[in-house]
Parts: sequence; C-alpha cells; structure tokens
Amino acid sequence: MKMRKPCKGRVSNVVLKNAKFWNGTSFEHRREVCLNACKNVETTEFDCKGALVMPALFGLGLDFMEPLRDDVYTFFDGFAAMHKGGFYGGLYESAANPIDDADKFTAMVNRFKSEEFGESEFDIKFLGAYSKGFGTDSLAEMVELAEAGVAGFGDGNGVIPHSRFIRLAMEYGKMTGKRFFFQPMDKTLRHSGCVHEGAYSDMLGMKGIPRIAETIAAYTILEMARFLQVPVHFKQVTCGETLELVRNARKNNIDVTCDVGLYHLLLDDSCLETLDSAYHILPPIRSAADREALWQGVADGTVDAISMNHTPVLRQDTVVNFEDSVPGALSLEVALPAIWNKLVKRVGESRAIELLSTAPARLVGSVPATDNVVVFAPDRPHVVVEGDFAGHVCNSPLVGKTLPSSILATYINSVWTEL
Amino acid sequence: MSALEIKHLFGLRGVSKHDIRLILDHAKQFREILERPVKKVPSLRGMTVVNLFFENSTRTRTSFELAEKRLSADTVNFTSSNSSVKKGETLVDTLRNIEAMKIDIVVVRHKGTGVPKFLADNSNAIIVNAGDGAHEHPTQALLDMLTVEEKLGTLEGKNVTIIGDIRHSRVARSNLWGMSTMGAHVTLCGPSTLVPRNTDLMNHVMWEPDVKKAVENADAIIALRLQKERMDDALLPSMREYRNTFGITQELLDCAKDKVIIMHPGPINRGVELDSDIADGEHSVILDQVTNGVAVRMAVLFLLAGGRNNENA
Repeated sequence: MKMRKPCKGRVSNVVLKNAKFWNGTSFEHRREVCLNACKNVETTEFDCKGALVMPALFGLGLDFMEPLRDDVYTFFDGFAAMHKGGFYGGLYESAANPIDDADKFTAMVNRFKSEEFGESEFDIKFLGAYSKGFGTDSLAEMVELAEAGVAGFGDGNGVIPHSRFIRLAMEYGKMTGKRFFFQPMDKTLRHSGCVHEGAYSDMLGMKGIPRIAETIAAYTILEMARFLQVPVHFKQVTCGETLELVRNARKNNIDVTCDVGLYHLLLDDSCLETLDSAYHILPPIRSAADREALWQGVADGTVDAISMNHTPVLRQDTVVNFEDSVPGALSLEVALPAIWNKLVKRVGESRAIELLSTAPARLVGSVPATDNVVVFAPDRPHVVVEGDFAGHVCNSPLVGKTLPSSILATYINSVWTEL
Repeated sequence: MSALEIKHLFGLRGVSKHDIRLILDHAKQFREILERPVKKVPSLRGMTVVNLFFENSTRTRTSFELAEKRLSADTVNFTSSNSSVKKGETLVDTLRNIEAMKIDIVVVRHKGTGVPKFLADNSNAIIVNAGDGAHEHPTQALLDMLTVEEKLGTLEGKNVTIIGDIRHSRVARSNLWGMSTMGAHVTLCGPSTLVPRNTDLMNHVMWEPDVKKAVENADAIIALRLQKERMDDALLPSMREYRNTFGITQELLDCAKDKVIIMHPGPINRGVELDSDIADGEHSVILDQVTNGVAVRMAVLFLLAGGRNNENA
C-alpha cells in the first residue's frame, strides 16, 4: 500500500528565472520575476528553463471525504493534491458528507481552516445540500446555509429524485438567489447501469446507462429553471445532446451553466475493453462521438468550465472486477499535464486558462490571487506513478500512462512546491 | 502437438481459428475416450483444479468436475453459498487464499463481466471462464461448435441462428464470436427488448427480427433459455406471448430446413423457448451437447495445462 506522504511544500519567497509568464493574453518571456510571500522567510530561486508560468487552477467537483470517510481521504490529502496539481481553490461537495444545515457548514469551514491543516488559505467554496442527507424527505435549511456562505446548492452527484421534490427545493431555494448544481441522471433510466450504454457495453454484456438518462433529467431541470427562474448548473455533462439542450435553453434566456469532466474529454468507452476498474467513472465515459461533441462544446463556449470530479476510492474498492468496483477517479495531480496540450490545440492558451482557472472560479464567486502560479513544461513527458498522488489512494486511469507535459513546481498561498 | 496461443480462456472474442480448431480436434479425441469402458486418462495427474462458482450452477459445474476427474486432476469445489465470500472476503483475497493452497487451474463463474481476466491479472493460476455475467461462456460455445461439426460435418459456411434473450446471454456472445471465427454465418433473433441496442461492434453477424425468416435457411438453431426475471423487469409481457412469437414450435420448424438441428444450452423451459416435442424430437441434439460439454472441457483444461502427458490422451 502506498504510504501517506507529507506535502513537501514550504513557505517561501520565490524568484522564477527564465520563464514564459502569462500576462493575461499570452505567454511572454521574462528573465526574472519575484513572487513575495512575506518577510522573514527564505527566498527560493528556480530556473524554469523556458517553462510556462500560468495562473493557478480552480477545481470544480472536489470531494476530500471528510469527516465521515476520513479513512479514505482527508483535507490534508486534498490540500497536498492541490499543491501538487497547481490548484488555489475549488468547489467542494462531498457525497458522503451532505452540508444540509448551517452548523455543518460552519464545522466544515472551521475544520478545513484548522491548525491541523496548516490554517489552510485555499479558496474552498462549499455546495450546500438542497435536501436533508441528499434525500427526498425534507428540504435543507437553505436560507440559513446561504447566509452562512455556501456557494450554491447541490445534489451530491446523486440521481435526480422525483420531480415534485426538485420543484419544491428550487422554489424554496430561489429565495437565496443561489445557483443549483445538478448532475443530471434519471434514476429509473439509469437502472443498474454502470457504463455508457453503447457498442462496447453491448459487446461486453455490461449494463449500460443510456444518454437519455442524462438528457431527460437535464430537460426536466431546465423546465424547472425556466418555470421558476432559478439559475442552474449541470455538473459533468457527458454527451452532445445535453449540450444542445443547454444551447437552446440559453436562447430562451434560461440561466444555465455547465461543465464537463476531465476524463470525459480524455477518454471514450473503448477503454471498457480493458475491463479495468480504473475506468469506472460516473457519470460514465461515453463514446468517441460524445467526446468529440464535448470538445465542440468546449470550443464554442457552451461548456463553461472543465471540472475535476476528484473522487478518492480505497484500493480495496478498486481491486475488484469492474462492475463491483466503487466508481471515481483522482484528477487534481494530473489534470493540467493531461489536458493542457489538447486544450490549447482546440481553443488556444487564453481559453484553456479560462476553462481551468478563471471560469470555474467565476461560477462560484472566487477571485484568484495573482501570485498563485503553476510552473509547467508542456513538452516534458511524465509517466504517472502511484506516488504522484497525495494520500494513500491512487485511483486514476492515468496511472502507468505517459502524459505529454509536466508540472515542475507550484506556488500556492505562498507555499512553494517543487515536483 | 501444437500449443494454444492463449494462456487462459476468458472468452472466444479474439481467440484465433487455430486455437479453436485445436480445442475442437482434441475434444473429438476426448469424446472417443468418453465412449470407452474406462473413461479416465492421466493427463492432469498431480494437478489441482478449483471450481470457483460464485453463481449457482449444476450442469456446468458438474460437467467441469467430470472433465477434471476424467483427466485425473484433483478437484475442489468452492461455491459462494458456503464460502468466506459470505463473510465479506474480497474476490482477490479469496483467490489468493486458494492459490496459497498451490492450485494450478481455476474454473470460475461469476455474475461480473471480466472476473476471469481480473483473476488472471492477480494470480499465477490458469483461469478458465465458466461464465462471467452476460459477457462470455466460452466452453458452452465450444461444445455447441463441436456439436455442429459432429452433426453437420463442418462449421464453415453453415447458417446458425440463435433465438431468444441475446442481450443478457453470455452463451450467445461466445457463440457469435467463436462460430464466426470458424466460418459459420450467425443470425441473431429475439424480441426487441432482449437484443443488444448497439451492434456496431457485432456487425459481422446478421440481425433478423422475423423469427420465420431467421430459421428458414438455418442449418442449426440455438434456442436460449428465457429467464423468468425478464418478465418481472418488464422486458416481456408474458411467457405465453414469448412462446407464441419466438418459441421453437413444430409450426416454426416447418419453415426450416428438413435436417436442421436444434440446440439449447439448458436447462430448458419446456413450452416456452422450446416445445417438448421438439426438445425430445429427431432434430434435437441437446443431450449430445451435454456429452460434448465434458469432452470440450477436457480439451480446454488439457491444452491450457500445456498438453502434459498428451501421449496418454
């Protein structure tokens, strides 16, 4: 088993030499840039050897499992992953830990800012639950949650409960002015599916989740949003049909935003042929045509952000056959090296940074600090090993794969981390 | 003797014609041995085979066990109903514990697609798939192929029609890969809720919704068992309607060739997928399939074990 490793970062002033710095519109070469943390700390000099220095990232879909599943992952692990991956903040929503009242929210904030975790200065925004325990019996105290400071209300990535409850939740939550975050998935159409319903699932005899499980749920939510005039966000859209619903909704002045998951842009369902549980991700990785539709949505602006859906899973829950494995994948540590070159090729550097940093931050009202940066070598390949991941879990389909790029160092909240 | 290219038997998709031919040829030899007064050979003497069945099975497990005993292997049966699996032990721990007892071959049946491959990735034993979810059941398909060859002389150019619950059938999947590899023309037919929705990766077989058209040129018809759960899951309205639409009846058989053979992987729902007079009639080769099952499994175990002591076969 991989052992828990301490974060190697240290508070430091930093002098970055010989790097291409992002100036807001392009990368420009500068011989030396000083990033100052504070007085009375050492100064680190780092020769970037022509690498890029870009704004740190903001991750949608963070789940560090605390407090109920701290046997799997902790804030400590999550923050280490953020340092490694170059994230200054993120949107936190834990399926195992619904924040359904203000006390839980306060306890969560106090915990992640506690001394135990180095009085974290990460810009973590929290999604409150719109219902008690992500169930369908009682509404959560959304007004108090909003006053306490949640960024919006979410479903814990659970399947959409019955429509009347959604209506009531959105109707009540409208008072807060907050956005509702849904992962659209119709429970009955999903049934017991665990992979994309397509040629590979049928060839392999695996139970599939059809696209209409997503689109019908998305359509229901958009109708609610139109009817109730409540802003909504779709998490991890997986197919072009849902993006088409988003486009049409926007034409009708419905306030809808959406993101796509990192792995949904990187993979398609041909990976199922390996029967490797590392590819067990929900919502499911869909076909190559769906992936291409997502890329088109990224390019034409339909997609607002790329989400991380960072989901730790214990090794014993992945070292089983595919259908019995617990779905989920880590992404923070590998996201930038895995997606950067593809993203730049499709949308250019400026939009790539927007999709990974400013746009997801804007969705939840985060304002990035200019000194948070990632030193990144886009042409230096990196073979992903288990040790790249923070904590004692390493569930990622990219383990063993060669990524085209490498993160050389990150500077987040005055902490310098060389990789 | 030529050796198998495969090291394990996970399924028939991707298995070469050479390997299937080798298994069928050896199965024919073992079939002859099964007709002798003394049906046992020492081919696997000293080897231990574990039958690891996480799903209920009577005929497949019995067939494997008999094949192992005929080859003089030591056999151990492990079923989930009486095992540590019920106490929460993981699949890989179960395997490692069994492996620590120095076993050589694992025959596994499990509800999950890909379990045999998973076990092979996590052990040193030879793995034989006795059915994984709706994925594959390769030895059933091999015995079906052996039966067709035995009755019709060859698979090459023969028309084989599979009727029934294709979507949930590991037997159908293994047959469509294996029989196609051996040159047979496979046609699949079933109710629209019980056939795969996406056939892009199975486009080497024919799909025929009309059961009469599906059987009219068939040299062999395989009727699949219909699970009662399909009715509970609203995939079908009733056994009655299924029988009247897709059941193999004398009326349907009148549309087929005179010498068509009728096969079924068993156990049969008489009067549902197959009428009793057809199951017991002149076209039926169902009991030959059962006998061939033992021979095919002997061949698979023998060849995967490396053909040791092959001179005794």
